[in-house]
Amino acid sequence: MASGQGAKNNSMAGSQQPSSSSPRFSVKESKGFSHLRQLLLAPEQHELDRLKTRLDQFSLHPKDVGRVLPDAIRLRAQQDTRLLASLIPVTQEALALSIKQSPQLISDSIAPILGSAIRKAIAHAMRGLMQSLNQTLECSMSWRGLQWRWEAFRTGKSFAEVVLLHTLRFRVEQVFLIHKKTGLLLNHVVAEGVSGQGEEVISGMLTAIQDFVCDSFGQSQDEGLESIRIGDLTVWIEQGWGAILAGVIRGAPPMELREVFQETLETIHAQFSELLQAFQGDASSFQETRLQLEDCLQAQFEQKSRGLPWAFWIVLGLLMLGLGMWAFQAHADQQRWAYLLERLDQEPGLVMTSIQEEGTPTIYGLRDPLAINPDQILSDIGYSSQQVVFRLKPFMDLTPEFVQKRAMIQLRPPSSVVGNLEGTTLILKGEAPHSWIQQAHLLGPLLPGVTHIETRQLVDTDLKQFETLKAELESKTITFEVGNSDISLDQRSTIRDIDQTIQALDQTATILGIFPRIQIQGFTSPDGGKEVNQSLSALRAKAVLNELANGSFQAINLRTVGVGSDRLPALSSTGKAVSQERRVAFRVILPPPASVPKSRR
Amino acid sequence: MKGRGVIQKKICMLGGFAVGKTSLVKRFVTAQFSEKYHTTIGVKIDQKSLCVDDTEVHLVLWDMYGEDDFQKVRASYLRGSSGYLLVIDGTRKETLDVARQLRLLASQSMGAVPYVLMINKHDLRESWKVTPEMYKDLASNACLVLQSSAKTGEGVELAFLELAKQMLKI
Ligand SMILES: Nc1nc2c(ncn2[C@@H]2O[C@H](COP(=O)(O)OP(=O)(O)OP(=O)(O)O)[C@@H](O)[C@H]2O)c(=O)[nH]1
Ligand SMILES: [Mg+2]
Repeated sequence: MASGQGAKNNSMAGSQQPSSSSPRFSVKESKGFSHLRQLLLAPEQHELDRLKTRLDQFSLHPKDVGRVLPDAIRLRAQQDTRLLASLIPVTQEALALSIKQSPQLISDSIAPILGSAIRKAIAHAMRGLMQSLNQTLECSMSWRGLQWRWEAFRTGKSFAEVVLLHTLRFRVEQVFLIHKKTGLLLNHVVAEGVSGQGEEVISGMLTAIQDFVCDSFGQSQDEGLESIRIGDLTVWIEQGWGAILAGVIRGAPPMELREVFQETLETIHAQFSELLQAFQGDASSFQETRLQLEDCLQAQFEQKSRGLPWAFWIVLGLLMLGLGMWAFQAHADQQRWAYLLERLDQEPGLVMTSIQEEGTPTIYGLRDPLAINPDQILSDIGYSSQQVVFRLKPFMDLTPEFVQKRAMIQLRPPSSVVGNLEGTTLILKGEAPHSWIQQAHLLGPLLPGVTHIETRQLVDTDLKQFETLKAELESKTITFEVGNSDISLDQRSTIRDIDQTIQALDQTATILGIFPRIQIQGFTSPDGGKEVNQSLSALRAKAVLNELANGSFQAINLRTVGVGSDRLPALSSTGKAVSQERRVAFRVILPPPASVPKSRR
Repeated sequence: MKGRGVIQKKICMLGGFAVGKTSLVKRFVTAQFSEKYHTTIGVKIDQKSLCVDDTEVHLVLWDMYGEDDFQKVRASYLRGSSGYLLVIDGTRKETLDVARQLRLLASQSMGAVPYVLMINKHDLRESWKVTPEMYKDLASNACLVLQSSAKTGEGVELAFLELAKQMLKI
């Protein structure tokens, strides 16, 4: 190939040489030749000139580089990671500069992925939260939880440990990153609550076992042992060309975990290939693998049901119930408050002037002392007296109801009396002692809202008493023997009765403020002479008067009168009637009303 | 970086059976000794930290089973080792030959790494059959040759310390 090309070049040089500067040709010949050459070789000549100038000014032409650049990058990247490494700082700086110069552009382009990333992160966090919440609730509430508490108590393990043992499907407890060639530990992470010990020794042992297996069964170094079981623990081993990833797992791990391990190991290899190659025992650069290794520390716990856990629903339900109760309560409170205001508004003797609802509700207004105590209304509705404050000033309500009520309270009537206000007249009914009636007449016009007192329908109990006593006295007689004015023994008790009746009459009359006169009338039978009879009857009346309370009464005047016989002789009578005629009787005489004040001393 | 970080180094214990490899490791790591002989099966790994000029060195000690006619030491175990202790039993001449073979194996699988030659059981020197003449060849390349005893502790610390120093130099 090379010789052929050389020959071609030589021949070209040969054909070119004479044309440019051969001294053997004459000017004329040369002119003709040159012309001929022009005719024959013009396009080639042109092309040659172009190539020549390009070679003369050779430098990398951007156009040429541009053509090969994509392929060049691809090929170089396949070879090893050095191109990548050298691109990293440039890219980082470019990115930083770009963010500084046009932040909008960057944020626009990452916004779509950022949203979903954040969503994913939140969902992940929520799931974790829910799971732990559920687990806690479930463990603390269920029968199973109690059993586990008992077990924890019995075995002396911590409750958390017992729960873990029972609910654990699998958990990656430790992850080792081991340098393949030396068996030295590059990095090591442990799950929370697990204590790692002697990890450097374990790392060595794992490698030794690995070597042993490979040697003994003739496997290549890349295959080797994939998993070791020690009781509850499984060790999963992932092989790479430079490092080994070993995960110590409790429980039964799912196959997907393998992929996680593989991916982790692959990324670590990609990132640390040179360091892995050059490793001399200083593992500090491998600290950076921590986050990747921690991704392998996965765990899965028993989940009873898919979807939202029941305990979550309980909590949610309780929350909703609480909310509902709160809303109901709020509504009921509102109703009650409205009802209270309505009650207060309708209550006679209470006037609300303003209401302040902030803080402890306060009601300002006026209250007639006779109105109901507003605290009573509060307790009727179900408020305590601390819940609502009243600021009420006393006032006088002049509605008829209150006028009447107030009047009846101030008059202090006996229980039998009822009052009824008509216009401004207070009509009293029932029975009352004389003194009270008089007082009512005096006080009535002084009562607010009352101008008259009407007592016509009111029975004066003292007056009634007086009438009764009067009738009683007037029905009584004292009888005498024929022609005699001495009071016989058997009439003594009658005299005593009469005396008492007269005393009672005297008292009643004193109450009533009247001064009645009692006429003690002596009678005889019609037999005998008229004069004799006249004097005999007078004697009989006087005899009775002498027997009565020594004759002194406060209001009553006693007078005797001899009537003689009050029957005409012609009229016959029965024997009994005759004995009844020899008697003394009484008559109560009331002075005309006008004379009452006069007779008062 | 060297001053702050921890350096790990893999070291192999090489030598014939019952020369005292396990005993030396035990003496070094836990400062104990036992007359009882439990032959090592496979490999046992221990770890001990040392300080060499402000650098913390974690020595990961691979205690091999002793080579005999039936069991050759596997090269794969030696891979990645930064140095080794070659142990000879001073009371048994035949352990010299084993040591020679092992040195060969080591230089093949580890490359040129430092090693310390230990003539062990020095507490039994009355019954020693081995003289310095006999191990001249082995001693010439060793970074340190010493007479040691796992029973008394003689030379043990020194052997490991010297090896650690040599390994860090590379
Ligand atoms: N007197 C004395 N006895 C020793 C000393 N070192 C080891 N031994 C004894 O030698 C016997 C073998 O010791 P090991 O340390 O088990 O020997 P090893 O090289 O590990 O043997 P393998 O594991 O079988 O290869 C034990 O009985 C030890 O007590 C020593 O320095 N002095
Ligand atoms: Mg041993």
